[in-house]
Amino acid sequence: MAIEILDPSHESSGAPFERARRLETLAGKTLAILSNGKKGTKPFFDALERELKGRYGVAEVVRLTKSNYSAPAEPPLLRDSAKWHALVSGIGD
Amino acid sequence: MKAESALASKRYTLEDPSGVQEFFHSRGWTDGLPVVPPTPEAVRACLEWTLMAPEQLVGIEQVRSRPITAEKLAVNAVMAGCLPSHFPVVVAAFTAMLREPFLLHGATASTGGCAVLVVVNGPVRKELGMSGSFNALGGSDRASTAIGRAVRLALRNLMDVRPGDVDRSTLGHPGKLSYCIAEDEEGTPWKPLAEERGAPQHASSVTVMAAGAPRQFMNEWTTKPEEILDTAASEIRAVMRHYSIWPGNYALVLPPQLRAHFDAAGWSKADVRQYMFEKARIRRGEWAQCGKGSVVGAHADKEYAALRSPEDLLVIAAGGPAGGFGAVIPPWYGSKSDAVTLAIGACVDCEV
Repeated sequence: MAIEILDPSHESSGAPFERARRLETLAGKTLAILSNGKKGTKPFFDALERELKGRYGVAEVVRLTKSNYSAPAEPPLLRDSAKWHALVSGIGD
Repeated sequence: MKAESALASKRYTLEDPSGVQEFFHSRGWTDGLPVVPPTPEAVRACLEWTLMAPEQLVGIEQVRSRPITAEKLAVNAVMAGCLPSHFPVVVAAFTAMLREPFLLHGATASTGGCAVLVVVNGPVRKELGMSGSFNALGGSDRASTAIGRAVRLALRNLMDVRPGDVDRSTLGHPGKLSYCIAEDEEGTPWKPLAEERGAPQHASSVTVMAAGAPRQFMNEWTTKPEEILDTAASEIRAVMRHYSIWPGNYALVLPPQLRAHFDAAGWSKADVRQYMFEKARIRRGEWAQCGKGSVVGAHADKEYAALRSPEDLLVIAAGGPAGGFGAVIPPWYGSKSDAVTLAIGACVDCEV
């Protein structure tokens, strides 16, 4: 005898997010790096900042740190986002 | 009745019922244990019991803006072995988990190996045959096991909280299969946990807590409440030394043999909380005694409390009648997630 069952999953077609538009060049741009706040992000993003400035000519790197690495970034942290050309959200452990 | 609306979930017809288990396992929809097939009839029965329409929102998980509907939660509850009468507890637990202070995404995605502890209070415990006695926390009765498992299966299937996907736990613990306990309200003069935390008197309620594994302690060699709690506080200090120093919700489960000494001495839950608040503390320098000297820094004498306030401690009367055992249940990671208490049947927009 056949049995009919229901799908238990959320059945979403995918995350409701789109990839951000890519910059044509990093030279002269202002980039923000958002750290999740874990200790390991500090040396990693220090190195990334040096690379961005030294190798790619990034004009300014804005460093941001979340107060709670398990929660979304608090809105005040992103209030100046209109001034940045791009933001990199990074995690570390 | 609301539940007569059409069910929206995709339907599968399996010609051979003996293939149901493999069908679910092969899609990553189970925890590895067999499931009850979620037939439309069984799911409708859950919805009808709660007078919920299939599309009714239990809540929205805010990080991924993911809606959780009554129908999808019911499908997972059926799979976990829930009876329709269990479903209101599952709905309340998930509603509470979706409250912002619980930080559901963080708690379930963390490397920290957290499980959701569900504590049930009020008349619904007796209606569902939840014992809060022998083998509490470990499969004490059908309803506790099924409700706890429903929460986990719903996380798995509705939030993608499966190992290696959203669940990034380095180490899990057995409570991640099912972690539900009913308080032994009839066996104690103490006020029920939910009522202490603001739920209406005599209401059926749930409290959810992002929790580590239970850590048993034993002290059968005293009748003094202070000494019993010194043992419990020592267990918490071990957590602070070996795991996380940050304060947050801890649960303290006290079975009857130990509770008898508190009753004889006239101690209330508030007295227990106050004593634990004062005793469950370490100094940062203690980390040097357990291999963490490199992070002691310049604050070796700084004192850290396990609890931000006495109210952070969830005191739960539960356990079998004999044995001088108790259990401390630590938080997932300090105060990143706060325990949430909600009356069963409370609407999504209502506050307790």
